[in-house]
Amino acid sequence: MKKSVLKVENLSVHYKTDSDQVLAVESVSFSLEEGSCLGIIGESGSGKTSAAMAIMGLLSKKAEISGQVCYYDRELDGLSEQEWQQYRWKKIAMVFQNGLDVLNPVLTVQEQIYECLRRHTKLSKQEAKDRVAGLLEMTGLDPDWGKNYPHQLSGGMRQRVLIAMALSCDPEVLLVDEPTSALDAVAKDEIITLLAKLNKERRLAMLVVSHEIPVIMKLTSKVAVMYAGHIVEEGITKDVIKNPQHPYTRGLLYSAPSLNPYRDLWGIPGETGVSKKEQCCFYGRCNQKLELCRTKAPLLEYVWVERKVACNQGGIVTLLQGQGICKNYEFKGETVKACANCEIKIRSGEIVALIGESGSGKTTLASILAGISLADEGEVRFLGDRVQGNNFTSRIKGIQMVFQDPFSAVNEHLTVGQAVREPLDILRLGSKEERRMAVLKALQDVQLPRDELFLDRRCHRLSGGQRQRVAIARSLVMEPKLLIADEISSMLDSSTQANVLRLLKGLQNSLGFSMLYVTHDLALARKIADRVYVMQKGRIIEHGTIADVFSSPKEKYTCKLVQMMI
Amino acid sequence: MTFLLIITLNFMIPRLMPGDPFTFLSAEEEGQVFISYSQEQIDKYKAYYGLDKPLPVQYGNYLVNLCRGDIGYSIYYNVSVLEMIGKRLLWTVGIVLGAILISTAAGTVMGCFSAWYRDSLLDKLLYFLMITISEIPAFLVGILLLFILAGQFGWFPLFGGMSSFAQYDTSLERAKDILHHAFLPVLTLSLTRVGGFYLLSRNSMLEVLAKDYMRTARAKGLARVRIIFRHALKNALLPVITRVFLSLGAMFGGAVLVENVFSYPGLGRLMREAVMLRDYVLIQGIFLFVAILVLTMNLLADTVYKKLDPRVNYYDG
Repeated sequence: MKKSVLKVENLSVHYKTDSDQVLAVESVSFSLEEGSCLGIIGESGSGKTSAAMAIMGLLSKKAEISGQVCYYDRELDGLSEQEWQQYRWKKIAMVFQNGLDVLNPVLTVQEQIYECLRRHTKLSKQEAKDRVAGLLEMTGLDPDWGKNYPHQLSGGMRQRVLIAMALSCDPEVLLVDEPTSALDAVAKDEIITLLAKLNKERRLAMLVVSHEIPVIMKLTSKVAVMYAGHIVEEGITKDVIKNPQHPYTRGLLYSAPSLNPYRDLWGIPGETGVSKKEQCCFYGRCNQKLELCRTKAPLLEYVWVERKVACNQGGIVTLLQGQGICKNYEFKGETVKACANCEIKIRSGEIVALIGESGSGKTTLASILAGISLADEGEVRFLGDRVQGNNFTSRIKGIQMVFQDPFSAVNEHLTVGQAVREPLDILRLGSKEERRMAVLKALQDVQLPRDELFLDRRCHRLSGGQRQRVAIARSLVMEPKLLIADEISSMLDSSTQANVLRLLKGLQNSLGFSMLYVTHDLALARKIADRVYVMQKGRIIEHGTIADVFSSPKEKYTCKLVQMMI
Repeated sequence: MTFLLIITLNFMIPRLMPGDPFTFLSAEEEGQVFISYSQEQIDKYKAYYGLDKPLPVQYGNYLVNLCRGDIGYSIYYNVSVLEMIGKRLLWTVGIVLGAILISTAAGTVMGCFSAWYRDSLLDKLLYFLMITISEIPAFLVGILLLFILAGQFGWFPLFGGMSSFAQYDTSLERAKDILHHAFLPVLTLSLTRVGGFYLLSRNSMLEVLAKDYMRTARAKGLARVRIIFRHALKNALLPVITRVFLSLGAMFGGAVLVENVFSYPGLGRLMREAVMLRDYVLIQGIFLFVAILVLTMNLLADTVYKKLDPRVNYYDG
């Protein structure tokens, strides 16, 4: 095991304001080894920069800091300003977030690098000057630029100056704060390459703070995800990005355009709120929150080797799991395999697309998963309990299904109000008034009118798009955790289809349910789904994230499908 | 353009005042020789100074003379205006410069202290004191100082730029006497100005201290002296320096009051006399002189600022 150069334990930062305390960083621990690079990622205001500043001892007096920061074995917290001088810049340096004000506007760039050298090294004036030129050159900047003032440089040049400045006294630890924000793509790439090179060549221990996932991916080997001052997930960068375990990490990754070339972008709903100390920091925005999460703050714990997650449920839960599902139909004496040993997994809060040509067994699989049809072999489990018959479709927070044909799915002699209320009526859930409110809310969610006139309208007088919305509203009154949508848009014109799908995706994003979206339309699947299962002749032949499957399909059949789509 | 406007106003304002140089002489100050003119004499003098001509003609003549660099002779004193201004100028410049130096230095130092130790007792005390002082008008401060320090205790002379009829053995003694006389006027002027500089430098320093580059400087582990003087003060002083130049004009205004309170033989007192006497030529001369001075200072402020702040040149192209 390598010795850690910088060790942070239980670091907390609170900002005192006149009226109360604002939590910026809460019990953050990590360590940096020689030559390693740790990333901290999170939305703005998640406390990333505060943590870095706390390590440097740079926070204002209004910040209350607790916990330990150790450089090798030397504790840094509690050092006086004077004692700090021995460590700052010489041992631990920082590449500040690029801004016009981060460099002194009335001093030339070279003076600002030069002064570090004069302060911390024993170089003579001339040696120091030569060194400044050398540093600038190393970062890819013509030394002549040193004579300029910061405002005369471009953003990329300033970033290089900041890096040259940070490296001037050969530090062992380098804290890098948002190295590429506000840079164009080319400059961004150059800066990342430069930092990666330095990390490798100088064996620096690096901490990279960024909200940009590509930066973290290219620079770091390990990553910690921060939310509202807490580390919510930690692990090896590649693994975390490929398979996030915390709902927040997943939301963050889903919001990154670079990782989602096809999918529509949807941010994490809600704002970072002030959370109470005793509740999970992500409670307000989590799609799988339980009552427990309101009263118990989860600890960052190992869920497997090299992966820690702070979640009361151990990360994103698996909602529905189908194992070894087989289903055969007898047709004129021949056996048709509709499903052959299908394995499928749907996690909380995600949209899974099931694609394949007509007759590939998609609908059969979907109805088995919902419990509507019975499998010959295999089992389906919903949150660990076996799905049998209508045991999950007939309850609140269970599974609901929306069918392909809106005209036959809803009894057309019912009024809109009756049709939407029907599941509640059948199950005798809630009082009359509560049912009415549930219906109105569901209608509002699917953006249908809520007036009496509309509620009393017979379903056969509605258009296809309206009827499909009524069908969706009817599922929503049951507050499903999983919505199985079987080709729901195939009978709609493309504009209505776009409206219904955006609506559904929006609802999914804000209400946080999971969805299995069965379709033969690849372009659609690619737009809305997070993961995809490809079915052919009753078998699931490939599955993975949308980006993986569509940009590098492994199976021949998938290749064909993807090519056909283009 | 600005200059022409100033010249025009300069010409018009004295003539808009009631009375003229000759009829008004009767309303003399006490102690002055009382002279009255007959109508004949008045007409003769008016013709002599060109005051009998219509205003536009007078204005034209004034401009022509100005272009030749001739600002004329005082009507009352019969002495070249330039010469009169020259005699009095040094006195005024002396107290104004002294006051500027003292108020800027004291204001800046206190402002920086206040900012550095923000919200401490020192800061609060200084802040209160400076606000109070800067709110008292100059002439009141002057009169108070005069009454107490000069009148009551007799530490300082009551009036004048130097002791009258005094013989000096050495020039050092002479300088001492001048300084002794100048002390109260300079103090008065400084007191009225110091608050402004204090507030400005305090604000400016506070702003600079909150900037990111101050954190950068701290992170680099630089010596405290270097952080304060090289990184903070160089930025914080920029607005103060501009203000020094710009406030010179106002300072001359203040000097007029102060010189009259202390009967100090400067330009301000001369101006008052000129106004009392309706000495058009002299008034014009002094006004013009002060206007040019203020304009020059503004120009200088710009130039100096450009020298100090590299960002200004940049935006000029």
